Amino acid sequence: MKFIIQRDQLIESVQNVMKAISSRTTIPILTGMKIEASEEGIKLTGSDSDISIESFIPQEEDGIVYVEHIEPGSIVLQAKYFPDIVRKLPQKTVEIESDNNRNVTIRSGNAEFHLNGQDPEEYPQLPQLHTEDSFELPIDLLKNLIRQTVFAVSTSETRPILTGVHVKMEDGELEFIATDSHRLASRKIPLEQPEGKALPSVVIPGKSLTELNKILDDSEDTIEVSVTENQVLFRTKHLYFLSRLLDGNYPETSRLIPEQSKTIVKIDAKELLQSVDRASLLAKENRNNVVRLITKENNHLEITGNSPEVGNVVEEVLASDVDGEDLKISFSAKYMMDALKAVDYDQVKVEFTGAMRPFLIRPVDDDQILQLILPVRTY
Amino acid sequence: MQTWEEMKELQPLAGQMLMNSFKKDRISHAYLFQGNRGTGKKDMALLFAKSIFCKEREGAEPCQHCRDCKRIDSGNHPDLHWIEPDGQSIKKEQILHLQKEFTYTGLESNRKVYIIVDADRMTINASNRLLKFLEEPSQQTTAMLLTESGQTMLDTIRSRCQLLAFQPLNAKRVEEKLVQEGVSESNAKLLASLTNNLTEALEMNEDEWFANVRKLVIQLIEVLQNKPNEGLLFINHQWMPHFKERTQIQRGLDVLMLWFQDVINQYVDRDDAIVFVTEKERLNQATMRWSRQSAAACLTYVLEAKQKINQNVHPNLVMEQLTLQLQR
Repeated sequence: MKFIIQRDQLIESVQNVMKAISSRTTIPILTGMKIEASEEGIKLTGSDSDISIESFIPQEEDGIVYVEHIEPGSIVLQAKYFPDIVRKLPQKTVEIESDNNRNVTIRSGNAEFHLNGQDPEEYPQLPQLHTEDSFELPIDLLKNLIRQTVFAVSTSETRPILTGVHVKMEDGELEFIATDSHRLASRKIPLEQPEGKALPSVVIPGKSLTELNKILDDSEDTIEVSVTENQVLFRTKHLYFLSRLLDGNYPETSRLIPEQSKTIVKIDAKELLQSVDRASLLAKENRNNVVRLITKENNHLEITGNSPEVGNVVEEVLASDVDGEDLKISFSAKYMMDALKAVDYDQVKVEFTGAMRPFLIRPVDDDQILQLILPVRTY
Repeated sequence: MQTWEEMKELQPLAGQMLMNSFKKDRISHAYLFQGNRGTGKKDMALLFAKSIFCKEREGAEPCQHCRDCKRIDSGNHPDLHWIEPDGQSIKKEQILHLQKEFTYTGLESNRKVYIIVDADRMTINASNRLLKFLEEPSQQTTAMLLTESGQTMLDTIRSRCQLLAFQPLNAKRVEEKLVQEGVSESNAKLLASLTNNLTEALEMNEDEWFANVRKLVIQLIEVLQNKPNEGLLFINHQWMPHFKERTQIQRGLDVLMLWFQDVINQYVDRDDAIVFVTEKERLNQATMRWSRQSAAACLTYVLEAKQKINQNVHPNLVMEQLTLQLQR
């Protein structure tokens, strides 16, 4: 294998790929980075077995030549040293060459490094995903979908399936659902389904989505999502992000969402968020961060936080509309704040069905975002 | 590089059973391999894993040179998980990692295999965690637990595995082989009764450290018999400086145990079973000192001491207590 490459391009790719590589892995080969050279360009791969990132540097793009003198081949290099070496090389171009004994030479200007490579055959084979079973959506929309759901995944390993986000496609809608069995976040978007093909519903680990969210830049380019039996692939122009899926059946969540409600409160989201935040100040450590909400006359809401050892806080908030039965309800301030932040609309509608039933938070005129929270029983 | 044929020679029963279960496509979700050191548990587990993953196998025989086989040998196969004790025991975190691994889909295929070496050294917490997913295996998962003492495993784990007992290799055969390799007869006997593994035995034979172990054990016996007052001194000045690591102490105790076995053998006239053939005279003296019952009691003390070493009791204290018990 041999090629000469622009250093800046290489640095960028290496940095992207490094995000997937972890030094604490049980499979020794995964501490390395795979470099593959073909006539079309150079492909770098990094993986920690949960997620894998592939970055592609084309031989040329828009008339600019990035890679020259390509002799196809592949090699695995120690990821501990390779990125630093590339970053500190003196010249704009880098020559990388490997011989049959897997000795790698990195040359730039007068500097020359010799590294011992590893056998690329040892590296896990990533699935070749078919591009037919896929759909496209804008990157910023995907980032929103992730941001609005992924915070609600469970962090405990007792029910591993809940540590993932359920992604399903039904009736021309793509839906992301996450729940930790105390709250649920869901977001739907309309999506044109490819004709005659039903995408399987999958559960993508929350950690992978968080990572993906960090890697993607906010832009209006599209990203292609493909699903296979055991992996999901997110593909932008030169970056492939693969994640393993969670194994098992996701619980049926549609029945959890109450259809009727007894009390409906419409309120400015920011105001509610801030007052809940204030009320939670005194109840942080013990008592599970619980605040209480009581409906008053004239569209007023009273929000209280109480911690007998410390003190209490009472605040009245004016809602734009309170409709239905009077209500006293307690809930976790953290869940409420997370949900309100995720909804991301000025005006929200909170639908209660009694003090012991879950309640919903939705934007006033958007059905696609839904946050559900279970109340806390207090005496 | 083992093949099923070679494995069957080493372990006729276990090898045949595994081969059949593979051929008839009735692979169990969990196996417990139990057998002494050097009986081929690891080799068997590796071979079985290869048979499962190899895509170019013929019958049950893996090809040994495809990508999958090679990666299993080098420990780089992404869907084979290999758990070994981290220090003294297998920790909860290691099992947690495994548990997480199994809630994910496989990296290359959906077939997953995990091998737990020295499974008896799992902490209670770890065992209970493991139990959770031994109980509810997902479809394409195979577990192999390897242990030297199956009895110390939790009953609840044993009952969920298919047990495969690995027979101890014939000590006579090992002994003969050692003699063929040029080891002196008396040494061959001692080595064969300590390990079943030929290469390990040969290494020990070369090792100066081990030669001294034998000498020290005999000196200890001498001290115990003739100068009972100096027992503790001997332990502190001679014995402890030589045995620094836990595994070394275990080895020393193993040899000590062989001595007391010999004393009993001497009583029951099983001359060919005696290991310390060159020390006949001392053995005779020893029979004067220890009765058959007390020799048996001494064996129990040594076993207890071995256990205590495993449980992190201070080695010095263990050895001192043991000397006092043996003098009694």
